[in-house]
Amino acid sequence: MIEVRGLGVTFPGTPAPVLRSVDLDVRPGEQVLVLAGSGAGKSTLLRVLAGIVPQVVDAEVTGVARVAGLDATTTPTADLAAHVGTLTQDPTDQLCLPTVLDEVAFALENRGVDPGLIGPAVHRTLASVGAAHLAGRRTAELSGGEGQRVALAAALVADPQVLLLDEPTALLDPAAARGVARAVRGAVGDGRATVMVEHRLDELGHLPARVLVLGPDGRVRADGPTERVLHDDARSLAGMGTWLPLSAELTAAGVGSLERLTVDPVPTSVPGVRVLSARGLSVRRGQRTVLDGVDLDVHAGRVTAVVGLNGSGKSSLLLALAGLLPAGGTVTGGSVGLVFQHPEHQFLARSVHDELAWGPHRARLPDVDERVSAGLDDYRLRGLEDRDPFRLSGGQQRRLSLGAMAVCGHDVLLADEPTFGQDRRTSAACADALRRLADEGRGVVLVTHDLRLVGEVADDVLLLRAGHPLALGPVDDVLADDALLSRAGLPLPAVLAASRTTGHPVRAVLRALRTATLPAPVRA
Amino acid sequence: MNRRRISLSELVLLAVLAVVSGFVYWALVQAWIALQIAMGPFGDLAQHVLIGGWMVAAPLALYIVRRPGVGIVVELAAALVEVVFLASPVGPMLLVVGLVQGAGAEAAFALTRYRRYDWGVFVLSGALAGLASTVLGMVRFGWLTQDWFAWRLGLQVASGILLCGIAAKVIGDALARTGVLDNTPLGRARRETTSPDTEPVPVA
Amino acid sequence: MTALGQALPHDSVLHRRNPTVKLAVFFVVSVVVLVPVDPWTPLALLVVAAPAVVHAGRIPWPTLGRAALLFGPFAFSLLAVNAVTRDGPVVAEVLGLEVTRTGLTVGVALALRTVLVGTLAVAFTLTTDGARLMTSLHQHARLGARPTFAVLAGYRVLEDLPGRWTTIRQAQSVRDPRHRRGTLPRDPGSLSRAAFALLVVALRQGERMAIAMETRGLGSGPRTVHRPVALDRRDAVFAALVLGVCLLVVLVTWRAGLLRTWSTV
Ligand SMILES: Nc1ncnc2c1ncn2[C@@H]1O[C@H](COP(=O)(O)OP(=O)(O)OP(=O)(O)O)[C@@H](O)[C@H]1O
Ligand SMILES: Nc1ncnc2c1ncn2[C@@H]1O[C@H](COP(=O)(O)OP(=O)(O)OP(=O)(O)O)[C@@H](O)[C@H]1O
Ligand SMILES: [Mg+2]
Ligand SMILES: [Mg+2]
Repeated sequence: MIEVRGLGVTFPGTPAPVLRSVDLDVRPGEQVLVLAGSGAGKSTLLRVLAGIVPQVVDAEVTGVARVAGLDATTTPTADLAAHVGTLTQDPTDQLCLPTVLDEVAFALENRGVDPGLIGPAVHRTLASVGAAHLAGRRTAELSGGEGQRVALAAALVADPQVLLLDEPTALLDPAAARGVARAVRGAVGDGRATVMVEHRLDELGHLPARVLVLGPDGRVRADGPTERVLHDDARSLAGMGTWLPLSAELTAAGVGSLERLTVDPVPTSVPGVRVLSARGLSVRRGQRTVLDGVDLDVHAGRVTAVVGLNGSGKSSLLLALAGLLPAGGTVTGGSVGLVFQHPEHQFLARSVHDELAWGPHRARLPDVDERVSAGLDDYRLRGLEDRDPFRLSGGQQRRLSLGAMAVCGHDVLLADEPTFGQDRRTSAACADALRRLADEGRGVVLVTHDLRLVGEVADDVLLLRAGHPLALGPVDDVLADDALLSRAGLPLPAVLAASRTTGHPVRAVLRALRTATLPAPVRA
Repeated sequence: MNRRRISLSELVLLAVLAVVSGFVYWALVQAWIALQIAMGPFGDLAQHVLIGGWMVAAPLALYIVRRPGVGIVVELAAALVEVVFLASPVGPMLLVVGLVQGAGAEAAFALTRYRRYDWGVFVLSGALAGLASTVLGMVRFGWLTQDWFAWRLGLQVASGILLCGIAAKVIGDALARTGVLDNTPLGRARRETTSPDTEPVPVA
Repeated sequence: MTALGQALPHDSVLHRRNPTVKLAVFFVVSVVVLVPVDPWTPLALLVVAAPAVVHAGRIPWPTLGRAALLFGPFAFSLLAVNAVTRDGPVVAEVLGLEVTRTGLTVGVALALRTVLVGTLAVAFTLTTDGARLMTSLHQHARLGARPTFAVLAGYRVLEDLPGRWTTIRQAQSVRDPRHRRGTLPRDPGSLSRAAFALLVVALRQGERMAIAMETRGLGSGPRTVHRPVALDRRDAVFAALVLGVCLLVVLVTWRAGLLRTWSTV
């Protein structure tokens, strides 16, 4: 079904190829999971198979890529689509039509399917991904999770022989991610070849039978049965920064279970002065109250994590704390910086250097040059000073937006989903950066779907459900309370569940696991 | 000039340009209304100061996509969006306005057979767009039979040169620097002249 | 007002008309009203049109009125500028400017024309779903599949724009350490930086949407439409009726000696 021989891809203006001599055969009915670190070329591989690279996106491609018997590098993308269903990386940007029905029907209309057959097929496919209730909705009004399900239905509706999925759960809360993972599993039908990129392996529940691993140099590092590849190569996979399921991570750490791990105590952070204080905070957006009665104190030196399902009001809370949304209640305290979820929304200058200098300039700080220089080092942006911020990779953009906010010296730093879509290594680096800011004496508030990240950096946790605070307390207490978590609708990741049995504080366990699996500690 | 069929991504790019320029104009309409009121009986002249901004999508589209007709197409699409989705009080006449202004802006590029994209062409394009729009006003509002015709003409052409022609090149170059235009004729042309900023881009 | 490009959420005679026919009729009427520059013809048309669209489209008067307020300043400035810039018998002097009878007449005419076309525009958008119009243009006006869906993709970008605009302005404002709680900067520099970021983000979204449409087979050959837009006899009746009434009104003002054109003012 898929036959790739000696595939090489080089993007214009870049010296090194992204993919080098990649070979891949996928038979009908087979499912393959692609694993690699950030920027290793996973999406590029899928885009070659879908006929996008080099036909829509310029690149130099060598070797052979045949999909469903057609040459993917020359067959027009739209013609290849008769055999291939594609879900690209950013779900919100692939909904192109105003209503859910039109969106899902689109692929069938383009194939000239008899109009009478389209309606039933659309409803059937929506139901198969658990989105039957969305049939009457407009696409612009869908939440991230709902949108991702509709996009999946739109890719599946024409019953393609080949299915390409690029991080189908990236933006979802843990519960919705499991829902979509189930839908993907259910959709993997008879005779269809599937290639999938996914970071959240523990949420996936049940991994595809075969894994393809790409190395940082763009070559195939391993290809074979999932169990064998993950366990034979666990150490080197972990070293490359890819996410792994818990069992493979334990193998990489060289232990059979978390209890065997040597856990060094980590210092608990002592709360410093109170730098921000919110009382009875409530926010209305549109016609609805999306946040109600939240009390929160932020202390210097401590990281507070805010968690909850999609749409529970986390981002609204940060906006209100930063004074960007009209809110009921009071917020008092020092100056507040906010790092938004999409770095692109926050860039102001035409070079990395100017971007870092922007805040200090505005604040008329005396030592702008020193601050910029420190920012370049702390956030590993040396060598990129003259680059346009929009021209950075996703991970680099994240670091820049964090750095540009950090150099301003605010008393409080708020960060919205700072690690989404990042691999294990960059995500750990980001966690370190936040921890360091707190240790320097700032107050940090972090919004995330990744409970493991919470365990790794947070001191306190605020649990939100539908705009209401469910609990606020020390991280070890909140993560230990099953009843509470299930009321918030948040399933516990396997690694946190396992860490309970060790009897150590969760941060100490996660640190130990990280030291044992990620080679060198990386600075942001 | 190229004879290849216009690609879907180019068509969508034109639609996005049309929509965003329409929207940004709409967001700045407050400023226009304020200016109109502040200028009292001369309020009608406010539109001439800003007219260039209305037309910037045409030379910008030509700069990026570099094929005949896209200047007109993008202005038509912008008009369609304003009429159909934004309920413009001008009504379907806006389609004619878009056609005429787009044709004015495009004339300069047609004269160079879509081969040259230097400052001179952009200045000429803005001036011709301002001129075309003045001619249309003569038909719609009888400007010729009014006082101030010379003022109107002068303001329209000046605004066309500045806010339409020159602005289009400035915006186009800034956009190209960000990498969003790498897979367009503008991006490819810049790569050929090996500018220093064609480095890796975040993935689309 | 409803959201961008969406009809009022009820049914009416105007809602049911074919969107392409509606747009064409609307277009012809706006071209016809370019001819008269006397106040009476547009006034008479307005007196007929306003109750007609309210009735046939079941549009509440206050909704229509609120929408009309939006183009009030435009109409007023047309009136003001024409009043003081045309030759003719002077009837008054304001701020040292001569108001002429001809100027006043033409000014009122152009202002009424604006209100008339504005009213029709509002009636059109309040009874027409933008996406259905595009489907109809594709079906009935031979607009190609790729241009049709490019415009629809543009419409999706448009729907997201107001939200993105706010988000970008918020995101950029916190970058300024001196930013004050509860305010967003409104200086031209900040606004144009936000507009630039908006353009970049929208273009990137556009590129991804084009890819998404292509990977679902748009443009690979003949396509079908699963929810076609109807076009039937009632649409012909509608067109004949509207154009007939319009011509009748112009005929009446002409015979009554009230009609003026640019050549006769
Ligand atoms: N159009 C392009 N032009 C230039 N470079 C590109 C382009 N698209 C991708 N790249 C670069 O190619 C490399 C591989 O990108 P790709 O998106 O395939 O990685 P990935 O493994 O999917 O990463 P992620 O986990 O972040 O999604 C990156 O360094 C990226 O910056
Ligand atoms: N601009 C807006 N206008 C109206 N409602 C909004 C707006 N932005 C968000 N909402 C609604 O407010 C609620 C809370 O949104 P918010 O973005 O705070 O959620 P969140 O917890 O950050 O979700 P996610 O995990 O998906 O980012 C949601 O139901 C959302 O639909
Ligand atoms: Mg990717
Ligand atoms: Mg959020």
